[in-house]
Amino acid sequence: MRGTAAAVWLVRRLAAAVAIVFGVVTLTFVVIHLAPGSPFLPGPDRPVDPRVIAALVHRWGLDQPITTQYLRYLRGLLHGDFGFAFSQGITVAQALAAAIPNTLLLAATALVLDLGGGLFIGLLQAARARRTTDVALGNATLFIYSVPTFWLGLVLVFVFSIWLRWLPPTGTTTPGAYESLSFLGRIGDRLLHLILPACTLGLVGAAGTARFQRAALLETLGRDFIRTARAKGLAERRVLLVHALRNALLPFITLVGVSLPFLLTGSVLIEDVFSWPGMGRLATDAVLARDHSLVTAVAIVASTLVVTGSLVADLLYAVADPRIRAREAS
Amino acid sequence: MRLRASLSVLAVLTVALGCSRRGGCSGDYCGTVVFVTGNNPKSLLPAVIDNAGARDIVDQLFLKLADIGMSENTIGDADFVPELANRWEWDDPKTLVFHLDPRARWQDGVPVTANDVAFSFDAYRDPAVGAAAENALAKISSVTVRDSATAVFRFREHYPTAFYDAVYQMWILPQHLLAQVPRTDWLTAAFGQHPVGDGPYRFVSWVPGQTIELAADSTFFLGRPHLRHLIWKIVSGTAAALSSVVAGQADALEYLGSPANIEMARKAPQLTLYPYRGSSYAYLELNLRANGDSTRPHPVLGDREVRRALTMALDRKAIVASVFGTYAKVPPGPMPQFWSIWDSTIQTIPFDSAGAARLLGARGWRPGPDGIRVKDGQRLSVEIAVTSTSALRQQLARLIQAQWRAVGVDAQVQPLDQNLLLGRVAAGRFDAVFQGFNADPTPASGILQHWVRGAPDHYSHYQNDDFDRLVALAGSGSVTPAQSAADWRSAMNILNADAPGIWLAAPDNVAAISSRIAGVRIRPDSWWSQVWTWRIPADRLIDRDRAVR
Repeated sequence: MRGTAAAVWLVRRLAAAVAIVFGVVTLTFVVIHLAPGSPFLPGPDRPVDPRVIAALVHRWGLDQPITTQYLRYLRGLLHGDFGFAFSQGITVAQALAAAIPNTLLLAATALVLDLGGGLFIGLLQAARARRTTDVALGNATLFIYSVPTFWLGLVLVFVFSIWLRWLPPTGTTTPGAYESLSFLGRIGDRLLHLILPACTLGLVGAAGTARFQRAALLETLGRDFIRTARAKGLAERRVLLVHALRNALLPFITLVGVSLPFLLTGSVLIEDVFSWPGMGRLATDAVLARDHSLVTAVAIVASTLVVTGSLVADLLYAVADPRIRAREAS
Repeated sequence: MRLRASLSVLAVLTVALGCSRRGGCSGDYCGTVVFVTGNNPKSLLPAVIDNAGARDIVDQLFLKLADIGMSENTIGDADFVPELANRWEWDDPKTLVFHLDPRARWQDGVPVTANDVAFSFDAYRDPAVGAAAENALAKISSVTVRDSATAVFRFREHYPTAFYDAVYQMWILPQHLLAQVPRTDWLTAAFGQHPVGDGPYRFVSWVPGQTIELAADSTFFLGRPHLRHLIWKIVSGTAAALSSVVAGQADALEYLGSPANIEMARKAPQLTLYPYRGSSYAYLELNLRANGDSTRPHPVLGDREVRRALTMALDRKAIVASVFGTYAKVPPGPMPQFWSIWDSTIQTIPFDSAGAARLLGARGWRPGPDGIRVKDGQRLSVEIAVTSTSALRQQLARLIQAQWRAVGVDAQVQPLDQNLLLGRVAAGRFDAVFQGFNADPTPASGILQHWVRGAPDHYSHYQNDDFDRLVALAGSGSVTPAQSAADWRSAMNILNADAPGIWLAAPDNVAAISSRIAGVRIRPDSWWSQVWTWRIPADRLIDRDRAVR
């Protein structure tokens, strides 16, 4: 009985996820098509005759009513055809295939820094509550959290790439050298390129997570069961790490779910600052170029990732907290 | 313990990075040069390229029949350099015959023939292809094949830049690889992603949005290129490009931009700066017709005297110095520094704010209660559209706004995204717009593109029969080069007097290039066209240059 209820809940959530993604696709398609501009406008380096532009618009069906274009797009989607990315000169599928792994790598690394760093700092602050360490870390995290992400990125580039010359400022690999590196060398090269963008994205997230985690831990540390644990003579480290942290982790799991959209939206700016060839940079280029197919496809992928992240967080929450399992089952 | 672990990770990383396969390349034909660019090419099929970044790469992959020399002289054929054609002659003033170099080969081994030349001309002129050069080839009536090594160009008329038109805009295309591809599909053709050319470099790889790599063709018939590999690193903009080159990730950036950028590059010990004549110019284009209604004159800018007053009100030298430092000049017309018609004797409207105020007053524009002039209840207000991604242009716009304000003109600066701005300008929905162009070497193309009646980009709606006549005369084959120069000067005097635009800046270009590269020559119209003659002396090679891939 409990298993059936869980399955129903899961199916309901999946159906909602599909509906959300469909809604995002429709909204994005309509908005980008209604936005003024065209993928075929003549540019400063392309003084093309307006008749040629008109022919291109007709050739790609952009002069048809938006409903016709939308239905054609949906038909294509059903056949796995995302269309052609005019701003990239390749198919949308090829553009996404090149960009998604880079964004996932960046987002995953930043997520580890965000959650791991945030958890550690929050723990440290809670353990040293209202002491110098707590105040110093509190101010530091508040400062980093208040700083615009792209500004932090630019500062890190200036310090670590231009001034100290320790880390590469752009890209994912060292052009001209990467191909000649050994397997380990290639991994090292990629890691070096990953440090600045991942730290920029992860630091801001970690600052927020730390403040959140500190508050959750302090609240837990004031509860009766913690007093009981201390009365039993348990070491403070054990009280903190085993009893308090475990109970303060529930809201942390929710944070994991909401961190994913933050990382994806944050990566739009960060990928631009570090010329990181992921979905964020692809989306920026596509929007500026009015690349309808690519913008819509990026929205599909991003919304799918966010909805999936949220679903996974809900599942983890249910696994971690028996009360939630019971509530969902009923 | 933790410190030991951290040090171990660092050590592994260091060892890993050191684990390159040490290459054995040494001598005069090694070297990998990394160019950094903010332009992301969409295709490398020459007929459909649409930005300077793609052009730079296509220049290495494909040849023209001949190319313009370092003098940038577009008149006649004396200053052109043979490429696919090893010689040419004029059968009569309207018939030009090219003889192809018999050594020329496509990189798949097929010889380059006159059929390729005729095929290329036909393709560039085909509206289905959408080539940017289509209009530039309009004065050529036909290209025919006399024999496999001889192509004959026939012109509709004789004119001074006929040879330039025949060769400059058209990279020759391989008929055997493209004839079967429908021309409506050239924009998306696979050939554009894996091109086969006939130039000094062959295509190796393209990682979308990241890098494009070329390798030297050691059998190139005009001489083996010294640099073994060329890589274009694609970044998101000028700031990222600058940081790449300053940090040593890239070797060459063709345009540094602002004085602050130039100073930053100057401080990088591994870079040498190369100033060269600028190929771009920026100006404020004024719409002489009402915003959004081209049937009516613009209530403010339709008046020639008001336009002159607006020009007069601006201390353009001070504005340009404020934004570009010493790295730009105020042009004497809509022209870059490297055009032959750049002439300090052209008459321009001088800075005279008192005179501007008098002129506006004389046209009935009287100061209102807030200092902004008013005429018949209408405020003297102009909206300046500017692309939101250009900090330099926005800075220029703010300075103009401040100086106009001093004579009672209200300027509203409207930053718009490039696509939206282009759409508005094409539809005539603007008062004034910041324009900036990278120009061809010939003034004929730029002026004819924008300022004569019926021009494709005739956004200002400027019309003056005398100007049109002089421009036509300057490009006519019936006048001498000296007379042509005089006609251009007279045409510019008329354009300046009518003030359909306010010419603001013609920047000097400064490139930053790794000091280990020797023999650097930069042609202003096509920065990297001479790269195949650059080299890295053996004693300056770094690991990247020696590495074997």
